[in-house]
Amino acid sequence: MDLSIQVEERTLFKRLDLNFILVIFALNVIGLINLYSATHGPHSLEVEPLFISQFMWLGIGWSVFFICTLIDYAIVGRIAIWIYIINLGALLYTTFFGKVALGAQRWIDFGFFRYQPSETMKLALIMLLAKILSNRATTGFGMGLKELTFPLIILLLPFGLVVEQPDLGTGMMLAAIGGSMILFTKVKKSILAVVVIAIIVAAPAAWQFGLREYQKNRILTFMSPTNDPRGTGYNSIQSKIAVGSGRFLGKGFRKGTQSQLEFLPERHTDFIYSVLSEEHGFVGSMMTMGLFCMLFVLGLRIAVNSRDKFGALLSVGVLCYVFWHMFVNIGMVIGLLPIVGVPLPLLSYGGSSMLTTMAGLGLLSSVAYRRYLF
Amino acid sequence: MSEYVSNPEEAKEYVPRYRLLYSMIAITFVLFAMRLWYLQIISGNELREFSEKNRIKQNKISSPRGLMLDRNGKVLVENLPGFEAILSPQYIENLELMASIVGPILDIEPDKIVQKVQKSRKQNGAFSQVRLKENLSREEVFRLKRIRLDTPGLEIRESIVRFYPLKEDGAQVFGYVAEISKRQIPLMNELYKNVFTFEQGDIIGKSGLEETLERDIRGTDGLSFIQVDAHGRETSTQTPNIYGEQIRDQEPVHGNNAVLTIDRDVQEAAFKSMLDNQRIGAAFAMKSNGEVLAWVSTPSFNPNDFSTGFSSSTWSRLVNDPFKPLRNKVIQDYKSPGSTFKPFVAVAALSEKVVTPTTLVAAPGVFMFGRRPYHDSNRNGYGSITIYEAIERSSNVFFFKMGIALGVDKMFAYINPLGIGQKTGVELAREVAGTMPNSEWKKATVGEEWQPGENLSTAIGQGFVEATPIQMAVAYNAIGTEGKVVKPFIIRKIIDQEGKVLKENFPQVVRDLTETQNTGIKVSQETFKVVKEGMRRVANGDRGTARFWKVPGVPMAGKTGTAQVIGFSADQIYASCTARPIHMRHHGWFVAWAPAENPEITVAVLAEHSCHGNTGAAPIVRDIVQAYFQKYHPEMIEAGLKELKMNKTTKINLPATVSEGE
Repeated sequence: MDLSIQVEERTLFKRLDLNFILVIFALNVIGLINLYSATHGPHSLEVEPLFISQFMWLGIGWSVFFICTLIDYAIVGRIAIWIYIINLGALLYTTFFGKVALGAQRWIDFGFFRYQPSETMKLALIMLLAKILSNRATTGFGMGLKELTFPLIILLLPFGLVVEQPDLGTGMMLAAIGGSMILFTKVKKSILAVVVIAIIVAAPAAWQFGLREYQKNRILTFMSPTNDPRGTGYNSIQSKIAVGSGRFLGKGFRKGTQSQLEFLPERHTDFIYSVLSEEHGFVGSMMTMGLFCMLFVLGLRIAVNSRDKFGALLSVGVLCYVFWHMFVNIGMVIGLLPIVGVPLPLLSYGGSSMLTTMAGLGLLSSVAYRRYLF
Repeated sequence: MSEYVSNPEEAKEYVPRYRLLYSMIAITFVLFAMRLWYLQIISGNELREFSEKNRIKQNKISSPRGLMLDRNGKVLVENLPGFEAILSPQYIENLELMASIVGPILDIEPDKIVQKVQKSRKQNGAFSQVRLKENLSREEVFRLKRIRLDTPGLEIRESIVRFYPLKEDGAQVFGYVAEISKRQIPLMNELYKNVFTFEQGDIIGKSGLEETLERDIRGTDGLSFIQVDAHGRETSTQTPNIYGEQIRDQEPVHGNNAVLTIDRDVQEAAFKSMLDNQRIGAAFAMKSNGEVLAWVSTPSFNPNDFSTGFSSSTWSRLVNDPFKPLRNKVIQDYKSPGSTFKPFVAVAALSEKVVTPTTLVAAPGVFMFGRRPYHDSNRNGYGSITIYEAIERSSNVFFFKMGIALGVDKMFAYINPLGIGQKTGVELAREVAGTMPNSEWKKATVGEEWQPGENLSTAIGQGFVEATPIQMAVAYNAIGTEGKVVKPFIIRKIIDQEGKVLKENFPQVVRDLTETQNTGIKVSQETFKVVKEGMRRVANGDRGTARFWKVPGVPMAGKTGTAQVIGFSADQIYASCTARPIHMRHHGWFVAWAPAENPEITVAVLAEHSCHGNTGAAPIVRDIVQAYFQKYHPEMIEAGLKELKMNKTTKINLPATVSEGE
């Protein structure tokens, strides 16, 4: 009885992880300021409206965030399989009938909004994997083959479809997120060893038959970008110039010549971080990096304090989602990784990405909200 | 719900793996931070420069060349605003069609336009403009304007055109400008190391003073910095330059002006006279201190044609013209001086005491040397004459005798210091030295011993002797000034745009023949006075060969001459010189100074293929002298005219042909 009184005392506001929300909000603000700059160059009339629509997506994003926060994530666990199946259906449809953009079929066009199922698939995958893996034993030697089969099937189905589109970047993201979650739940060492060996053996074959020409080029270009500075190496070189030319304090808001004069490709989506680095320099870049790190640390604290394994795994999954996106995107922008079309969560323009990220973070918030058992 | 609300202790199973996640985040943070440090701090300056190079495009603003002014400040060469045709490839709808319309107007093959545009598109992108043709003619501008509205991408833009108001007059001396050729770029860059850097498209002086004065009258090109975007489009530069504000447009610096010694009026009179008399050849006038007053070479070309982009047919016409319009005949045509050489021999003969001013020498119509007869142009001969008459009437036989008595090496000792066979050193390039032979020279170049008979032909300025008009003027001037061999010069001073004098040239006496020369000779003033008197009579004496071409009030002293083009044998085919085809006719010389006593100017005219020195060259000399004195000493001419009226004796009739020797 005492306990029920206690529950009433924890008001909605007090139950929220406010620090976590503040960090997200801070990243949103940076994202908006930066996107304004990226979409308001002297010749970028055609991308100017994107700023307003990002504003709208942000509003919707926060709504989704709070809806997810308020829903008991246990319900999410129960309907995870259905979300997954519906999403897989959409992905199937996209892969074979979707709108072609940049040589790949990624979208379903709803007129006002182009829905990208591969993006929401990441979240559906996280939910379902969290659900399944939370039932697996994590003590002892870890999961064996029998226990791994179902999670792997769940992972490989969307992976195959996305790669078929072809959208290797998103496919790799799915694999990275799913793989991280599986590894987090612990896998038998013998199986790990087999997987590592298999990857090493299969890599040349995958290079030969699995990758398309442009994908190979991107990797080759990454190895030596100066080989073809006007062609495939162009993006990488221009991005590095943009980042480096920002120096310590940056060129100033809307004064980044690389972005304003369109030397930077895809500056409002994949290369949004170069815009930031160019205009706000080392200080701005590190501040943003620091905010991301704070987000991870706060997120992990939520996971640690979650009331159950599903909550913890869900949190870790969402964090992996944000982390891998950030890692690959910034890694690419600063020339540590090959060019892969992966958005930077909370900063890049894009409705699907924004909604997925905010929904995922909303789930994390939900886990935090319900960290108290009663 | 119970299914999920499980034991919270269960969630603690993950705790060891969280550490892994924390460290992954930490490692990523450190890795990215290091990379950002490397890019932004360590390579920051270098990459900032790259980003600047990305966006800042340098455009050259060509500077106007300096003007050339005459001795009184009148313009000889200037710059005019002109027009050029520009293409903006991004607006062109149909390149082939456009080329086929614009090509014929600009006299460019349509294929070449297409190639040019495609090449530029590939190299510089669709947004960088292509210059089709510079310095459009008025007609081209009008025709382009008519089609411009229907031809998107075509633009007519203002530019600077070099303009030569005198046109053909003096074209070889002022020279012309044109685009530097690919072959020339390294040569010019070597020549003007640390002064200019030439690149393709630059306009340079190609000949004449434009070439000589390159260093002085070439300006400093300006630079404009344009901000372009990734597609090459110009964008407004609200963003300040990253190198602080250091990069500003550099205004082009106007080249310095050159003040020449030329007198535009004398120059124009000289050219007009050459044209009026339909003469091929050279006319050169200088003040007795060496300042060049007029410099004409005909036939000529219009240097404005080069400025407006000459066609290949114009070029080949100029190159293939048998009378060489491009050649600067004043310094490049070396001809036998003929009888104009005789005063030099007279100087040598008097100095060597072969004759005295009073010695009478028999000068019959024919002279036998060995078994060969040497004819005088006057078959009747002159009887016994003094050196005065020999010069006045141009007796060949008299000078044959002098030649034999002196020998070539003695002649050389006097005549070479006068400047024959030596470059005068005037500022223009490609001057030739001509030839003043001696026995040593013949052995070295021909490989034979000097023949005694050759003394005869040398003494009357034939044979090996060859001289340029400018050399003749300098040598005559030395006689007129009684020994002073001057260095002719044409560039008086270089002044900047404010008129400040940067460089100045002064008259220079190279040698004074009244002092001992390195050939061991020395000429007395008395000797010069005798020769001067003889030459005064040429223009003023009753029997002087140039007596018909007087300037009232201004007595001239000089000598006519005829240079044989083809040997005497041609005389046997053709009745007279004028009956010959033009390229076989003799060259006429007249070199003179005025006033006879105290020379102020010296004029040399070589009238090629004009048959005679008197009718061919003397009228031009007369016109030049008249123009000069009319301008600077009108009182002399007025006085002369008054005297003429009072005497009413002089009736100047030009003889149709002159059979007198010269």
